[in-house]
Amino acid sequence: MENLTIRREGGALLLKYTGEITLEMTTDLKRRLDAELGEGDVSTVIIDLSAVPFMDSSGIGFLVSVNTRMKSAGKSFYLYQLSPAVEKTLGLVQLIGFFTVLPDETALTGVCG
Amino acid sequence: MERAVTRKTFQTISHPGDSRRLAKEVVDHLAVYIADSDILHDLDIILTEACANVCRHAYGGEPGPLEVRLVVNPGIWIELEIVDWGRGFGSGVRFENPGPDAEGGRGLYIMRMLANDCQVKRRDRENVVFIHKDIGAALWKT
Repeated sequence: MENLTIRREGGALLLKYTGEITLEMTTDLKRRLDAELGEGDVSTVIIDLSAVPFMDSSGIGFLVSVNTRMKSAGKSFYLYQLSPAVEKTLGLVQLIGFFTVLPDETALTGVCG
Repeated sequence: MERAVTRKTFQTISHPGDSRRLAKEVVDHLAVYIADSDILHDLDIILTEACANVCRHAYGGEPGPLEVRLVVNPGIWIELEIVDWGRGFGSGVRFENPGPDAEGGRGLYIMRMLANDCQVKRRDRENVVFIHKDIGAALWKT
């Protein structure tokens, strides 16, 4: 997945995907995230959604599954910079408030620290 | 712009990538008529959800025929039928928004939110998701 960039900062794992998040993509995204989580101690996962021009309910399911996995392990999960399309999709299913969305770089640096 | 009602049918096989491409193809066709990008995005979501449902459920996870029938009444409304010939919806039809922890089951809810009418039907051997969406006159191309 050349459209996926992964950065580690301490115990934080920051993923940024550029492109549509649909049924076609979510299996690969899950697989990549599983591999990363298996590779060392990750206390926080952050997914940057600023470059996602389209997301469907498969994408929502992916985000919910990561959230459940992290929270049930006592770890943290954040979304960062929602694109307008992602904001619209999450808003339709009333999940904007369900996730913790980091509004800016200061907030991002705070949770990566 | 031509004012007569027009009909067009789009077909593919329900692999995930092909299903998404079919949705885009229909939206590209609709962009000839509709100017408003937010409405086009609504229709893109509706079509993508309906086609993904076929992909996931219609043929037990295997690929099979998938058809979109579009009717455009320019300046007034559009109707879509997303059709498959698989196992049918049975008792699995749920239009409600599931709880926040649910990983699936939001597709029909999203379609219903974005359309004026959304119905699931069985017609002979066809499983049909029917969508009607009114589109205000100002949102169409002139």
